[in-house]
Amino acid sequence: MQNAKDSFYMALRTRLATLDPERTILLRGAVRPGILVEEAEAPFNQLPNDVFVLRWLGLGADLDLGSTMAAEECEIVYQTCGTQSFGGLDRGRSLSAMDEELVAILQPFHTPKMNYTATPPAAMLTQLFWDEPGFGPILVERDMLSRSAKVMVYSYQEQGE
Amino acid sequence: MTANWFTAPAPVARRVRAYFAPVNRAAQTPVLFDPAEQGNFSLDAPPSPWISLGWIQEFKRKPASKTAAIMTGIPAATLEQVRETLEAQVTFEFLSWTKLTMALATGSQHMNLLASASSATAAADGAQAAPAVSVQGGSTATFVALASADAARFTPGSIIALDADYTGQTGFVGSPVSGAYVRQAMADVDYIRRVTFNVALVSQVNPTGLTLAEPLAGGAPAAGTKLQSVTGFVDREGGSFYQEWSALFVMQGSQGERIFFHYPRLQTITGSEEVSASLDKKQKSGLERVLLKGQFMALPVTDPLDGERVLCYRSFLPASNALV
Repeated sequence: MQNAKDSFYMALRTRLATLDPERTILLRGAVRPGILVEEAEAPFNQLPNDVFVLRWLGLGADLDLGSTMAAEECEIVYQTCGTQSFGGLDRGRSLSAMDEELVAILQPFHTPKMNYTATPPAAMLTQLFWDEPGFGPILVERDMLSRSAKVMVYSYQEQGE
Repeated sequence: MTANWFTAPAPVARRVRAYFAPVNRAAQTPVLFDPAEQGNFSLDAPPSPWISLGWIQEFKRKPASKTAAIMTGIPAATLEQVRETLEAQVTFEFLSWTKLTMALATGSQHMNLLASASSATAAADGAQAAPAVSVQGGSTATFVALASADAARFTPGSIIALDADYTGQTGFVGSPVSGAYVRQAMADVDYIRRVTFNVALVSQVNPTGLTLAEPLAGGAPAAGTKLQSVTGFVDREGGSFYQEWSALFVMQGSQGERIFFHYPRLQTITGSEEVSASLDKKQKSGLERVLLKGQFMALPVTDPLDGERVLCYRSFLPASNALV
């Protein structure tokens, strides 16, 4: 199941880097595309602005198939205060831009499953796939707008996993 | 070389994609789809002459062939089965309104509303049309060459219909899709352009002609083709004509596998019908999407492989490395 989580994150990260190369984050001394997995970083006091944060939640498994199917729920959280140059008055537009980017990087709704613990990463046999995102309402906290979207990611367990 | 493998569960598909190809009505020749040769086509770029109808929903196949038992003995027991009738039906809802989807979902002729001549007497399926203009040589499926004076009559965003003048012939008319069957000669010189499927949106106008936003269903216009402006479409409940088409439905599985349902000959079996779908399921009285509902009967073809009469071909292309 970890391979599916890794593959989902890497697919979104690759797509984001192509779609909006300007959306980056400086993390652990490196500039990276503006998307991260919360459980793979040091705990945050406050989530960083203007990046997508992946948070893994629920898990289900269907064992009655030729290959076990795992369903992993991923919440994608993002928030923004807008830009300084506009005094934060563009925070609504900034959030809309992130909404559109998220919809874009989730398509196509599938990606090959990879094993990223190998060097170089090894392609596996199946693909993971997911459904349309379910967007939550905008939350307002002073000058900050945030939203989360939930996606159910499905994958098949392969031999050796 | 070796290959690893996995056991693929039942396909998981998002939606069904539909494709259209014309049947030569006069010769009763459908277009056949070869999944071995063409099965890996890009869903957005089907092989010629297939044309995408977009996504569909509520796709249901209903085999209705009847079998009968040949009984023997006392008490009687089934000795053999025989197929008494061949019948299959397909129903689904189109997720778009286009010339093609409207025409296929209606039970009769589907007509283009030609832009009317000035002061023409009103008519339910379009008044007398403004005169057609002649297509010049050098036209292609996406560019219609016109004399500069004729081109000036069109604007970007216009819809056009191209086909030959009606000259009193009877039988199937319209190219490459038969849009109607004329039983007795008429006087309307524009009749073929009223029923033709050769319609497109104009994206650009210049003095040499019109650039189209989408290729014409009939490809490059033939010599003698004329062109008229279209304001919309109309169909009627009633009439005696049945639309017929070759159909291909594709389900793309999550692992790249594909299921094809190929009906070489489909005919509409009901009049035009719409269904409504609420945009917000929590608010039933709110906005509704209006969908074209299609109900079709499959007609048989004779498979040259073994001479069997069949209605539909179901093909499956497994995912890579999946056990079969």
